[in-house]
Amino acid sequence: MQDLMAILPLVATGAGAILLMLAAAFESFRKEGISIMGIGLFAFAFFVQLAVANSGSFAPYSGVLNGMLATSTFTKVAGLIILACGFFSAIAAQAYFTQNKGFVLEFYCLMLFAACGMLLLTMAAELITLFIALEIMSLAIYALVGYDRKSVRRSEAVLKYLMLGAFAGAFYIMGTVFIYAGAKSTSFRVITDVIATTGFLSNPPLVGGAFLILFAFLFKAAAFPFHAWVVDVYDGAPLPVTGFMATAVKTAVFAVLANFLMISSDLQAAWVDYLFYIAVFTMFAGNLIAIAQNNLKRMLAASGIVHSGYLIIALVAIQAKTFTGGAMLFYLAAYALATLGIFAALSYLAGEEERRVSFDDFKGLARVRPYSAACISIFLLSMAGIPPTAGFMGKFYIIASAFQAGHVSLAILGIVSSILSMWYYLRLIVLMYFREPEDRFEVAEMTLAPLGTIILAICVFAISFYPVVL
Amino acid sequence: MIVTYMFFGFALLSILGALGLILFKHPMNGAMSFVVTLISLAGMYALLSAKLIFAIQLIVYAGAIMSLILFIIMFLNIQAKDLPDEPGRWFYLGGGIVVISPIAYLLLKMVKSLPAGDTGIIEQDFGGVKEVGQLLFRDWLLPFEIVSILLLVALVGAVVLAGKRGANT
Repeated sequence: MQDLMAILPLVATGAGAILLMLAAAFESFRKEGISIMGIGLFAFAFFVQLAVANSGSFAPYSGVLNGMLATSTFTKVAGLIILACGFFSAIAAQAYFTQNKGFVLEFYCLMLFAACGMLLLTMAAELITLFIALEIMSLAIYALVGYDRKSVRRSEAVLKYLMLGAFAGAFYIMGTVFIYAGAKSTSFRVITDVIATTGFLSNPPLVGGAFLILFAFLFKAAAFPFHAWVVDVYDGAPLPVTGFMATAVKTAVFAVLANFLMISSDLQAAWVDYLFYIAVFTMFAGNLIAIAQNNLKRMLAASGIVHSGYLIIALVAIQAKTFTGGAMLFYLAAYALATLGIFAALSYLAGEEERRVSFDDFKGLARVRPYSAACISIFLLSMAGIPPTAGFMGKFYIIASAFQAGHVSLAILGIVSSILSMWYYLRLIVLMYFREPEDRFEVAEMTLAPLGTIILAICVFAISFYPVVL
Repeated sequence: MIVTYMFFGFALLSILGALGLILFKHPMNGAMSFVVTLISLAGMYALLSAKLIFAIQLIVYAGAIMSLILFIIMFLNIQAKDLPDEPGRWFYLGGGIVVISPIAYLLLKMVKSLPAGDTGIIEQDFGGVKEVGQLLFRDWLLPFEIVSILLLVALVGAVVLAGKRGANT
């Protein structure tokens, strides 16, 4: 029973995706019906995940599945974040498609498939299963980015993402081969045992394999020096998809990265120094790119790189003995709330064909739409890390955990980077509040996105009170 | 001994085929040299006594998938004038080699550290349909099952990207 409960969210998401795929083939389900079904299925999967009470880590159906899945509180919370991201992205998509052309009925089905791949990714405890999960997620996201084939920007984005994603996937496979050569197995459990008996650095194939696999994950997480694709791909994708990619994909990738590093403390210790520099460069490269942007989507994409940098700080600071992942998951949740909030707001404010996307388009928004402007300000302040928002608490936990692990310089650089990032977050707030409006910001009525935005804004404050044990 | 020589022969052929794939200007030539890679990979599987994988590699990859790729290239009817001229081709290739070579050097050193294995052909109880099937459905059930989700996603994605758009769009 416990086994079934543990994989139930996965089953619910997968079955929901197939259900939507079938529904899309019927004449009687049209755009509105499919949208409501998509939102509803994400909400259902979220509550299933919430209802699953599993404490401690164990491998569901370990006899049949050979321990290739492993669940723990960490994977459960990561799953909750992923499904919540899916839910709010679906709400944003509903608003987006009332104003934009090019809706395909399979849109929500692909989102659910992507979520299914992400849940598998967080639970995978074996390298080949992990690769298949990674590809399920990636293929669904490629299709979501490029579904509108009339637009050149979408095609460019999907081509770049597909090529580079395939490249990273090839490195991952190569890494798996090396790890198999070093450990004679691809299962995390066996790799842990092998490292415990022979040591990590005295086993060259394992080192090489871990190097290539980290390479692939850092690419997916948009860490320096593999960050160059992010800005173009996020800019080219439709707004709700960008929000989904920035939050859910990031959550899944960081969850799997933490799982991989937690195979053994020796493995993590060998890469801590490199991750340290990657974290620093990721934060500052992201900040420099973000400061230079005039387009809101590109700015959010670049700030996503910066947030990846903070999350790598959390990876540097985790300790295999007492791993809970609390700081990382809290930060991911806080970041997801703020980012999805902005994307939900943008998806109805951007208007037809994504007209309003640059900073200047949002001049004087506070005069015309005070509530939307207030919500966006809350999200931006949360991303910048101003108390009492969730973003502040997230940064606080990450920097505190870095101090605890003895990486004082990294903690200080994190604070410096977050001060730098205020520049581009506050810039939008200034434009919204202290400029005269030039636009009337007319939007389509009868969408759920404004409601979703307000719920997210409340959540930004609500979850900041949730205590995390470091 | 002969097995080792054959391995080097197949390895060389597969690398040459892969080089041809990226260096030939016309996609048809590229596809044909890719066939060389696929067939030499099948040869390597045979050297490893993986009978079923050898057959699948030949029938599915070198056969079915390659003929699909060739059909598509023929449908598109690509002429020499349709091909883009790539002025920086050799420059980028050289740059790529410079960037990748330290990593390749590192990986080669790691491969060298591996203990030498037995390269003899195993005749019984390995690599046949029965053995692979048992392995697949006993030990590798989960990857086998989730590959079906992967294929379904690929199918839906292909329909979304290439399918006909209805009145809803």
